[in-house]
Amino acid sequence: MKPNNILIAPIRSFFVETGELAYFAGRFFREIFRRPFEFKELLKQCYNMGNRSMLLVGVTGFIIGLVFTLQSRPKMIELGAVAWLPSMVSISIIREIGPIITALICAGRIGSGIGAELGAMRVTEQIDAMEVSGTNPFKFLVVTRILATTLMIPLLVIMSDAVALFGSFLIENIKGDVSFTLYFDEVFRALKYSDLVPSTIKTFFFGFAIGLVGCYKGYYCKHGTVGVGLTANAAVVEASMVVFIIDFAAVLITDIFYSI
Amino acid sequence: MEKSLYQKLKLGIFVITGTIFFILGVYFIGDKQNMFGNSYHIYATFNNTNGLKPGNNVRYSGINVGTVKEIVMVSDTLIVVKISIEKDITKHIKTDAKCAITSDGLVGSMIINILPGYQSQNSITQGDTIRSSSRIRTDEMLQTLSVTNENAALLTGELLAITKEISAGKGIIGNMLKDSTMSKDLKEIITHLKNTSAASTTTIIQLNKILSSLDQKDNIVGILRDTATASKVKNIIVNVEKSSRDLDVVIKHFDETILNANQTITNVKEGKGALNYLSNDPRLVRKIDQTMSHLDSTVLHIDNAGIKLNENLEALKNTWLLRGYFKKLEKEKNESE
Amino acid sequence: MNDIQNSTNKIVVIKDLVKSYGEHKVLNGFNMELFEGETVVIMGKSGSGKSVMIKCLIGLESHDSGTITIMNKNLDKMDADTLNDIRTEVGFLFQGSALYDSMSVRENLEFPLRRHIGKFGKIGDATPLVMEALESVGLPQTIDLMPEELSGGMKRRIALARTLILKPKIILYDEPTTGLDPITSKEIVLLMKSIQEKYKTSSIVITHDVDCARFIADRMILLIDGINYIMGTYLELSQSEDPKVKAFFKQ
Repeated sequence: MKPNNILIAPIRSFFVETGELAYFAGRFFREIFRRPFEFKELLKQCYNMGNRSMLLVGVTGFIIGLVFTLQSRPKMIELGAVAWLPSMVSISIIREIGPIITALICAGRIGSGIGAELGAMRVTEQIDAMEVSGTNPFKFLVVTRILATTLMIPLLVIMSDAVALFGSFLIENIKGDVSFTLYFDEVFRALKYSDLVPSTIKTFFFGFAIGLVGCYKGYYCKHGTVGVGLTANAAVVEASMVVFIIDFAAVLITDIFYSI
Repeated sequence: MEKSLYQKLKLGIFVITGTIFFILGVYFIGDKQNMFGNSYHIYATFNNTNGLKPGNNVRYSGINVGTVKEIVMVSDTLIVVKISIEKDITKHIKTDAKCAITSDGLVGSMIINILPGYQSQNSITQGDTIRSSSRIRTDEMLQTLSVTNENAALLTGELLAITKEISAGKGIIGNMLKDSTMSKDLKEIITHLKNTSAASTTTIIQLNKILSSLDQKDNIVGILRDTATASKVKNIIVNVEKSSRDLDVVIKHFDETILNANQTITNVKEGKGALNYLSNDPRLVRKIDQTMSHLDSTVLHIDNAGIKLNENLEALKNTWLLRGYFKKLEKEKNESE
Repeated sequence: MNDIQNSTNKIVVIKDLVKSYGEHKVLNGFNMELFEGETVVIMGKSGSGKSVMIKCLIGLESHDSGTITIMNKNLDKMDADTLNDIRTEVGFLFQGSALYDSMSVRENLEFPLRRHIGKFGKIGDATPLVMEALESVGLPQTIDLMPEELSGGMKRRIALARTLILKPKIILYDEPTTGLDPITSKEIVLLMKSIQEKYKTSSIVITHDVDCARFIADRMILLIDGINYIMGTYLELSQSEDPKVKAFFKQ
């Protein structure tokens, strides 16, 4: 079982880690239905994640909406289709840009936070201390955090979408002269449930992935304080990767249900 | 609780391969979703697809009913387009439907537009080929338009010239336009005159014949002795009387006509309105003059004939053979009075 | 002391404990017994497997073979609930205090009570218990502070208070004086001694601090090469002629 080949070792460790992650997810689903439920801690985590990330996500969303509109506007004018700008911007933001940007920001912000926090708790034996004091640390730390990200990231995405659309409106209003009502009338006319529903559903998976990877990395943190840094880093990278894979799969699945 | 390294490795491989197969499966299902039977494939042939691409929409009566699946170039002028259409819709598309490639808006991509057919009763089904109407390309359209424009320019030029002439009063249309009732009246008068003169001429000829037949015979007395001849003569006289009465009517008619003619002529001579032209037309004037002179001579003839008739009648009265008859006639006349 | 040793009430029994990481055998047939009210100090070099042994004892690490019996219950055949019940009877003072950074001192101390609400009444009624524990470590004024506001020695004491709050029968000390200056170390050791007398607990202390060991040990076990190399009082061990034991005390 000892890694004896420089090529095989990383591949093997990759598969082992995926397996561990799968077991970890399985354990999450087992523990989630077992008493006791840590509602207070869940609410605390939800508040922490939502509140801590709101400003960052909001500002990012606003700038994305702003810049996106600013960049596409000249081209739309060239095509004589500047009236289509609200619908184009809204569809791109709702369907893809809003969810993916928010998920990546949260992977960086929340994923690394969870990884570092749990990693630090692991290396300072706080997790052991919890276990010793008769509290299931998995339930108390991991389940609450994964649930919190699963619930909070969709909310953050919706907020980010709204703020991005507002940023887009602002540019339209400054550069052209579109009223608030007209702009959002155009936006809502362009949007269909087939735009909103799949992209909202996939954000739950984004949130789950970010929480899962962050918790897994932190929960099994090794190598002391140096390990905490590495853990936070790995949590961000791997969470982003998983988010991209989920997004890819989500687009393919959406395609099946909503094409033609 | 704790899993061995081997178990983790196994699960890891399972998860990764599972994910890959899932994504591949989803991808191929998305690609070949028609295998699940919610749509039909039909074909259409074109010789120019105008930039149509697989994935473009197919519309029927403005509804998106399918997508372009495949475009295959069969020969240098023939392109077969494979279209997938929702099964539910196909029952509304008849076999004589036509399809055309059009553009979806200004910046939109190309779409296939299926135009409904009205003759056929049968709906299209899997594998059918529907007819295509080649779309008129913009440059061709412009070419045709420019030819049409040139023609239109020529036409309007000629029309302009015609209207100019008309407004200047040239030609019959011009005249008609300027005073149509007048010229109509004139025409009527002329035909009337012609008819009248023809009728009077025949009457005069007949009269002349009778008179000449009366004058000619030297042995007229012998003839008159015969009672048959006498009754004949009697008839003649009655006829003559009738004729003279008719003549009166004719002459009255003539008087009217002449009055009309005079009126017309004075009008013409005064040069009112469009008759300027008419009066300036020497032929017409001459014709009218001729008619007038004809009329004059006719009237003269009639006068002469009347005088001669009176003379003849006087002569008849004085003839001994017919004296009794005339006396009897006078008597009856007096009695009746 | 004699009466303790003579007592047959063995509260902890470890037999032939084997634990290996990969191919490296950390513990290779470790045996020990802990009698009620006794304090056993386990000494050894860094990496000799002391911490691993104590974690196996509380079930934080799984062992490869051997048996661990705590209060006549076999740890191997235990479900999670029974294990947690046992853990309420066993306090554990971690090497780095392991206070929960995100919680105040009060919440830290209340945390072990969470699972045992039935045993101690509602969480809201825990304040007297918290105060009692804090007073027994001499820091009642820190109740509303956050761990980051405390010094290393205070943290260690709060951690001790947290261990005491469930009134355990056994307390396991993992390097209680590590990372502290000698004076604070002395205070901690004195505190341990006083708690030992106050609550009548049995203790297993892991340390490589000889002074600490000498002060509180009823018995000492020297852990060398994964086995209980030698066992005895401080005096016995320090006078041992065994070269390995000598080498250890020379350090």
